[in-house]
Amino acid sequence: MHDEVSGDGGVNGKHLLWVESITKSFSGLTALFDVSFGVERGHIKALIGPNGAGKTTLLNVISGILSPDSGHVYYRGKDLTRLRSHEIAAQGLSRTFQLVRLFTANNAKVLDNLLVGAHLKLKPSFLKSLFLRGMIRHQNREVRERADEKLRFVGLEPALGDTLPSNLPFGNQRLLEIARALMAEPEMLLLDEPASGLNDAEVEDFKNLLLAVKEKGVTILLVEHNMKLVMDVADEIVVLNFGRKLAEGSCNEISSDRKVIEAYLGADYMKWGGGNHSG
Amino acid sequence: MKVRRNIGWLILLLFIALFPVTLGRISPYYNTVLILVGIYVILAVSLDLLIGFAGQISVGHAAFYAMGAYTSGILTAKHGISPPIALLCGLFVSGLIAWGIGRAVLRLKGYYLAMATLGLNAVIVKLITCFASVTGGASGLLNIPSFRIFGLTLQDHTYYYYFVWGLVILVISCCVALAKSPFGSTLVAIHSDEEAASTLGVDCPKYKLHVFVISSMLAGVAGSLFAHFMGFIAPDDFDIFTSILILVMLFLGGVGTIYGAALGAAFLKLLPEVTYRFQHYELFFHGLILILVLIFMPKGLLGILANVKDWVLAFGYRSNPPSLGTEP
Repeated sequence: MHDEVSGDGGVNGKHLLWVESITKSFSGLTALFDVSFGVERGHIKALIGPNGAGKTTLLNVISGILSPDSGHVYYRGKDLTRLRSHEIAAQGLSRTFQLVRLFTANNAKVLDNLLVGAHLKLKPSFLKSLFLRGMIRHQNREVRERADEKLRFVGLEPALGDTLPSNLPFGNQRLLEIARALMAEPEMLLLDEPASGLNDAEVEDFKNLLLAVKEKGVTILLVEHNMKLVMDVADEIVVLNFGRKLAEGSCNEISSDRKVIEAYLGADYMKWGGGNHSG
Repeated sequence: MKVRRNIGWLILLLFIALFPVTLGRISPYYNTVLILVGIYVILAVSLDLLIGFAGQISVGHAAFYAMGAYTSGILTAKHGISPPIALLCGLFVSGLIAWGIGRAVLRLKGYYLAMATLGLNAVIVKLITCFASVTGGASGLLNIPSFRIFGLTLQDHTYYYYFVWGLVILVISCCVALAKSPFGSTLVAIHSDEEAASTLGVDCPKYKLHVFVISSMLAGVAGSLFAHFMGFIAPDDFDIFTSILILVMLFLGGVGTIYGAALGAAFLKLLPEVTYRFQHYELFFHGLILILVLIFMPKGLLGILANVKDWVLAFGYRSNPPSLGTEP
């Protein structure tokens, strides 16, 4: 098991995302305490831990929805800690949510969701909408093509563009949320339990999707409970428990780490056949 | 086919364009009614952008209506400024106040935002009443001249009618353009889920402020038009009840559709012309119609029209079923 503590803020270039000594409390309840780890460029890193370990809180801190009490978040060596979520998104960091959060007001369709996904590329403004209508029409056509491409990439039919998101089966809603996050061509994705609620076949497809996204050069931080998916897809794993980092390392190292097994893997680990491991 | 889809609107436009020279000649009173309809259409449509698209509840739209009216009125009546310039000033003042207040107020959500805008309306009305030396106070501002543009005095209601409705068409087309553009989609995203929108890079406070300012400026324009039309304005015209009236017009017509807002404004402004016959029971029928529409047609009047259109089309299909392989 190896612990990486680098005092240079991850500026050594290998780590795209570097989280340093993040502490976050809510009215006396410590959700995160001194959590540090990095995600290497082009890797898929899984963030696992029992429910309540602080995984979603950590994602919220990284994506700017929450401010940590102390500590820093570095992205490409730049300190993002005090930035707001839309500024962090502009840096190239996109995320999805545990409970799918698609846009549904005003009968928004699948295509409208994807259009907003391209916000950073389109940079809409009321001036452009009023005075540059020709350019808007041109942009809309481009966005439509890109939307169709992303839909196909995640495994959805481009024809779905005009349906209401609420009419999609749950698994497809999850895929749509990912397609939407991909519209801005992000450098890094934070995924919050994207496989929860998916059946085995869907998880298998999802595994291939993650690998395809990785192949495009996108770095992924994946919060997941589905251990088989994690083991199949992750390059490294970091484990949280009660807001503290319990362990960090490769899949083999983590699956044979006694502390981790005790805290978390337990019966699940035995189920998918944890082989020989040193005590 | 584009022509068939728009034929309804073309007919409506034609009706609006020809009214003063046809039916309006028979009864000039209705010209004045339709001018007021036009003014309220601008108010309702501008509010739709804010409430229907961006999802920001405002119950104080009349505050900006007032600012446009009083700025225009004071500049023309007391300082002899030409009306078009005064109108632009009214637009500017409304926008400026919206900018200043919006930055703070738009941090609030839901009921709190509604209460804050309600409070804003009350404050503005109170300020107008108190600064009587400037605004004429509770007794109102008198002697506001008619609109003068390009040397032409629009005193005749027919001329003013075309001026107002020209602006109404312009405002509606601008709001529709905004609603259908990526800017509109951004507003809808903010309406749905601000947090999720911000993770896609949407600067929610900025867009909320922009739509608040635009909406308020348009209300200011309506205010100026009102001031020059009536020649006389008083704080009572811009109180909370007016804000609520605009809100009701919006929901009655169909919130979030722009055209629905226009329909609601027209309906509610024309309804008294029908219900006055009930004399003492006028308010009763007013309220009854509102309740019935809101209960049975949550999509508002526009929803009813859309349903009627569907029924007519469906009836057409049943009588003439399309042959195989034909696209409707």
